[in-house]
Amino acid sequence: MAEVFKKEGYVDPRPPVLGPGHNFRSISEKIGDIVLMRGFQKGWVFGFAIVFLGALMLFNTIGYLVLKGVGIWGNSIPVAWAFDIINFVWWIGIGHAGTLISAILLLLRQSWRNSINRFAEAMTLFAVACAGLFPALHTGRPWVDYWLFPYPNTMGMWPNFRSPLMWDVFAVSTYATVSLLFWFMGLIPDFAGLRDSAKNKVQRSIYGLLAMGWRGDARHWQRYETAYLLLAGLSTPLVLSVHTIVSYDFSVGIIPGWHATIFPPYFVAGAIYAGFAMVLTLAIPVRKFYHLEDFITIRHIRNMCKVMLATGLIVGYGYLMELFMSWYSANTYEMFMMKNRIFGPYGYMYWLLILCNVLVPQLLWIKKFRDKLGVVFLVSMFINVGMWLERFVIIVMSLNRDFLPASWRMYKPTVFDFTMFFGTIGFFLTCMFLFIRFVPMIPIFEMKTLLPESKVDEHKVEEHISGTSVGANPLPQFGD
Amino acid sequence: MNTNYAAPSDLGRIQGVALGIGLLGIVAWVIGLTLSGNVREIFFHSYLVAFVFWAGIALGCLGMLMIQYLGGATWGLIIRRPLESGSHTLILMAILFIPVAVGLGNIYEWMHRESITDEKLRAMLDHKSLWLNPKFFIVRTAIYFAVWLLLMLVLRKRSHKLDETGDPALIQSAQDWSGPGFLLYAIACTFAAIDWVMSLDAEWFSTIFGMLLIVGQGVAAIAFIISVCVILSRREPMNHVLKPKHFHDLGKLLLALVMVWAYFSFSQLLIMWSGNLPEEIPWYIERFKGTWGYLGIALILGHFFLPFVLLLSRDLKRNGRRLVFVAWLVIIMRFIDLLWLIVPEFEHGHPGHLKDYLIYIASTVGMGGLWLGWFFWQLRSKALVPYNDPLLPEALAAGGGH
Repeated sequence: MAEVFKKEGYVDPRPPVLGPGHNFRSISEKIGDIVLMRGFQKGWVFGFAIVFLGALMLFNTIGYLVLKGVGIWGNSIPVAWAFDIINFVWWIGIGHAGTLISAILLLLRQSWRNSINRFAEAMTLFAVACAGLFPALHTGRPWVDYWLFPYPNTMGMWPNFRSPLMWDVFAVSTYATVSLLFWFMGLIPDFAGLRDSAKNKVQRSIYGLLAMGWRGDARHWQRYETAYLLLAGLSTPLVLSVHTIVSYDFSVGIIPGWHATIFPPYFVAGAIYAGFAMVLTLAIPVRKFYHLEDFITIRHIRNMCKVMLATGLIVGYGYLMELFMSWYSANTYEMFMMKNRIFGPYGYMYWLLILCNVLVPQLLWIKKFRDKLGVVFLVSMFINVGMWLERFVIIVMSLNRDFLPASWRMYKPTVFDFTMFFGTIGFFLTCMFLFIRFVPMIPIFEMKTLLPESKVDEHKVEEHISGTSVGANPLPQFGD
Repeated sequence: MNTNYAAPSDLGRIQGVALGIGLLGIVAWVIGLTLSGNVREIFFHSYLVAFVFWAGIALGCLGMLMIQYLGGATWGLIIRRPLESGSHTLILMAILFIPVAVGLGNIYEWMHRESITDEKLRAMLDHKSLWLNPKFFIVRTAIYFAVWLLLMLVLRKRSHKLDETGDPALIQSAQDWSGPGFLLYAIACTFAAIDWVMSLDAEWFSTIFGMLLIVGQGVAAIAFIISVCVILSRREPMNHVLKPKHFHDLGKLLLALVMVWAYFSFSQLLIMWSGNLPEEIPWYIERFKGTWGYLGIALILGHFFLPFVLLLSRDLKRNGRRLVFVAWLVIIMRFIDLLWLIVPEFEHGHPGHLKDYLIYIASTVGMGGLWLGWFFWQLRSKALVPYNDPLLPEALAAGGGH
């Protein structure tokens, strides 16, 4: 479409979002075959075995935790919130990139999202599942967690709606539901495609069941497109509200270091930052292992780097504001909090945080580095760590030295804090491995819309009428 | 259709009308001041509101200009020239800052640190005097303007050169400047917001305040640009250029910004109201009283609910002549928001009547005449569209590029 509107001699400097030489068939086969092939690749089995061990570690920890109680964690007054809430915020933040990529970028008509969205949505689901575990277990008696919901009962119990923790229950559960729907609905046409190209009966019946009778009818597509846009419209405020409410968990309180008005946008930016870092952490190896360079192109990597850089700068802006305002406030406790953060007994955590979240990601300003997968992967790892440290700095360091020096106490995580945390990483990766093997990780039909053959619009019809040829290049995507 | 996109000749007439209304505003301002009894105080108070309002639109234009380069959305280049003209008024705003510098003593409480008897308050101001002292204040504002003017001139130079040469490398260069430029811009705007507005109450602080004002500037700038586009869309040559699609995009942007503004404002209120801390909540208590309470409700309705509901309509967004009413509503609400932020600080807990605030309208209209005169002078001086931009044909295509 756009080629003919370009000035002569102008070449779009950006690489294409889809590698050259593809057609409808090659896309279906390349992505579908990962799912439909017989047996398992050795690498997959090996990786799965390792991450599944991690998941087992998580299950064991949970079992022991339920038997013994939360006393096996290091949480103790004044640090009543520690690894559990840090990990909750960390995971839920990671989940946000999925919704951002699939919903917000869809609404902004950024079609480069088409290859990474399904993958990122799956990541969202698994990350939210991991996140939900922590507060659910932190209640101490997870078997009565249903008390969190407002329902008429003879105990005279009613949740306190003035607490942001209650809002969290609703925000996160709504978010999880909508994300699941969005993910599953997006998969239906691809499930139908797999059903039709299935190589045996089992595959055919399972994917057939999942495809819910999809026949690719024009009416199906029309309803699908409408519903998909509506769900995207719903997800967009949800994704912002979830992390905003997570930030209220802290900022609505009056603990210095928690009570800051900048928290909502700064948390949301941090969530997107962490989420994109995780998408890159996963996408770079997967892309290489499954040879998906044509679908997850250097253009995707570059764009994700730019989003990461931008959100990272907002996070850095948040640190700057906290630093400045703690001095400007002239408030004893605010000033002490900041001094404690920087030079206190956990000071090294703050400096590590600055290194990981502020200093290292500045490498992404440089074009050359955005194209180097190794550098991008490394920076993403730094950000993954940095965003965890940020929550440690905010949560633990604000609590362990509060208003009353007599109640100050250092926080020490126990071995179960670590097995629980690394266990969720194992569980998360286990889910990702299963997803990659059994579900198309790149939306096949959406990739096809990127092919020039699939474009039917007025300009093209005009072109055909006037007899000019259509370029074989995929459509340039604007706005990245 | 002429292809050099020269400004329509009657833009000069509009410029004249703007200057005329501005003159009326100044006359009303002078009359109001003479009636007020306390000429010096009221002059500087009303001057500050006008200054922050118009500087906000100018800064909003500069920020949007950089976002337009960074986002790379092709439709954005249709509004590039209005944004450039809007940001060029920063030269005027830099000059207009001088009276603020002269009137610091009449505007800012922290200037009178020595005469404060309350010991706690005095100790707090002593601590802050490292930041809040007249010399450093003026130096800082000079730095902010230096940053903004530098960015404005750099982008302007590239854009004008592009008209002559059509070299795509110039766009790349503008993009390269816009990335770090926006960062510097945001930091300068944040501290300007803290200095010019937040420090009116020397005790109060809010970490989101800078972002709140930056978004407010964006809202004002886009609403203003919509108004300008509507004027242009009725005249040659822009009636061939501006399509419903472009208004649709501008409307969506306005909707998004209005929502972000509401989000930030609500978050700040919720956090402070829940905390209910003695150093924070008085700021809100003052603004819940009397006239300010009503204006606060007007802000909730007029700065969020009404534009939000209206802008959801696709038909309205695509129709420039209807969209412009929402834009005007939002511009008026920006003014009321700034009144609500600034003026209660001059009253020390005794809110006045609505008629006491008419002087602020007069001052803002008065300065607005000058500002709009400068803006239209700039807009007329160049082609209305960067006609040598390689992406222009696509931006002009009926679909509007994305």
